[in-house]
Amino acid sequence: MWRKGTSRTAVPRQDRQHLSRRDKLAGYLAERWRGIGLSLVIVVATIWLGVTGQLGLYIHPRYFIFTTVMAVLGLAFVVASFIFRTPAAREPESEGSPSAGRRTLVLGGSALLLAVAAVTVLALPPATLTSATATQREVNSGGLDSEAAASDAAALVGNGDYERLSVKEWVSLLAQSEDPALYADKTAKITGFVLPDAADPENVFYVARFVVTCCAVDAQPIGVAVYQPGWQADYDTDDWVQVTGTFVSNPSVRSADTLAVLPTTIEPVDQPSDPYVY
Amino acid sequence: MHSDRGTSRRVPTGLILGVVLVALAFTVRALSPAFAGWGLPDRAQDTITLALSVIIESAPFVFLGILLSTVVQVWLPHGFITRFLPRQPVLRRASISLLGMFFPVCECGNVPLARGFMVGGFTVPESITFLLAAPILNPVTIITTHQAFGFSDGILITRIVAGFVIANVIGWLYSRHPNPDSLLTRTFSASCAVPDAPGDEHLGHEGHGHAPGRRPGRIERSVDLFTRETAVIMPALFIGSLIAALTQVFVPRSVLLALGSNPVWSVLAMMALAFIVAVCSNVDAFFVLSFGSTFMPGGIASFLTFGAMIDVKMLALMRTTFTTRALVQITALVALMSAAAGLLVNYVA
Repeated sequence: MWRKGTSRTAVPRQDRQHLSRRDKLAGYLAERWRGIGLSLVIVVATIWLGVTGQLGLYIHPRYFIFTTVMAVLGLAFVVASFIFRTPAAREPESEGSPSAGRRTLVLGGSALLLAVAAVTVLALPPATLTSATATQREVNSGGLDSEAAASDAAALVGNGDYERLSVKEWVSLLAQSEDPALYADKTAKITGFVLPDAADPENVFYVARFVVTCCAVDAQPIGVAVYQPGWQADYDTDDWVQVTGTFVSNPSVRSADTLAVLPTTIEPVDQPSDPYVY
Repeated sequence: MHSDRGTSRRVPTGLILGVVLVALAFTVRALSPAFAGWGLPDRAQDTITLALSVIIESAPFVFLGILLSTVVQVWLPHGFITRFLPRQPVLRRASISLLGMFFPVCECGNVPLARGFMVGGFTVPESITFLLAAPILNPVTIITTHQAFGFSDGILITRIVAGFVIANVIGWLYSRHPNPDSLLTRTFSASCAVPDAPGDEHLGHEGHGHAPGRRPGRIERSVDLFTRETAVIMPALFIGSLIAALTQVFVPRSVLLALGSNPVWSVLAMMALAFIVAVCSNVDAFFVLSFGSTFMPGGIASFLTFGAMIDVKMLALMRTTFTTRALVQITALVALMSAAAGLLVNYVA
């Protein structure tokens, strides 16, 4: 479509230079529309995610405003670039620039990149990270600013309201102490996705979340171990569940976690609108 | 363009076309989830999610970088920034390495800005110094690093000092280069040679790219610059992000984490991690904080120094401007000096 819109204005009236009309057109199209096309795709996607409240699938909330403002500004430039036609004039100037074949190649590559970007960014539904990424990154190996998280958790523990503790808060408590006596009388009620324990996948799974510090690319999986032999019969990896239960010494011999939740109930739940924790 | 007549008459056509395209993109985006349900395999889905998160995170900074570069090239008088810099080369580069204090763009935004500086009169070594120093020596990075680590283990100080030293040493090395312009890609050298932007008014000649008798206004030149810069930077950003995402999905991180407690390996592993995760320097301190218990402080310091200057995404972006050969050299130099800084922290501090 962007091709159709430009070809009319792009072709020089007469060939003043040795490059053929077609080559010039190829070079011009690539230079003129590649950046604008990709920018258009990304600003539209960003604004749409922002408006529908889904930016959190990709970036930390502290960037929401900045990202949206810059996307709107980018959109203004993209639209403005349709008004002015000067960039077209520059292309035939570059003498001794890439050969005809190279220009066609550049145009082909640019068109392919733009097409792929448009389909993946604009047509695919937004998604959260899956357990495939979690298994690449060791669970509970990082991601939490443990001091801050632990003090948050301590505040909630002070209330005695253990059922309100999230996965993140339990993980930071467990990082402080794994003394079973400390957890004996406490009920956990936690929501997360199912992630099999790599060491003992038959008996133990994690109720897991991703911690995001900047954007999804730095997501670290954290999770509380749940001991439930044969869980795979009822739940799939990546299912979102709410687990209620008490902490016991982990009966699994292979699992690395000292403590695990012995569930009283495991209920399937919908994926929360903000799947990551910060 | 070639025929100027009718430009003003056609303005509405272009505008309408642009608006229609944007509306179409929004419609596609809003309607497509309804037709979704092509369940992609998890790894493919995660690759897309990760790549998209890097792009959405970085694109605003790229736009900001282009806008600042536009301000420097189009709106400020020619040589406005160079006017305030010392003439003595060493002092000049030292001042340039602190310019990031006034342009707190993330590293991805620094590439278009550095391109703008070069068009505006910086030498190649000077712009390399800026490009390497600015991600570390800027207020946002320093504040977030301080929030994350305070002054513990000398991590903050090491980062600042190493950032300054590495940028200036590399700038100095390249200032000895017989022909620094050969470090640039041909396309970028060519665009530097076209004095379309700042020189116009002062030299009093018509810009090469424009038909005689009509000189484009500043707004038009700004939009033109946006078009040309995005044409170069956006493909690099998309491809760099895709490479970063693929590495994330297919290289298990546990391999790196196993190396954390050895003074030498912790440094090398953290540099490798910095290279593949490609987190912005503004926030990488928070990211690496989570590895603080696993890795020795030297590893953290190397991560914060090396990762701010070089990573997969940055190399893709810098390739728009510098030759592969130059980038290999710069990467090697930065890596060696960052490793040295990290080892110093591990063994001495």
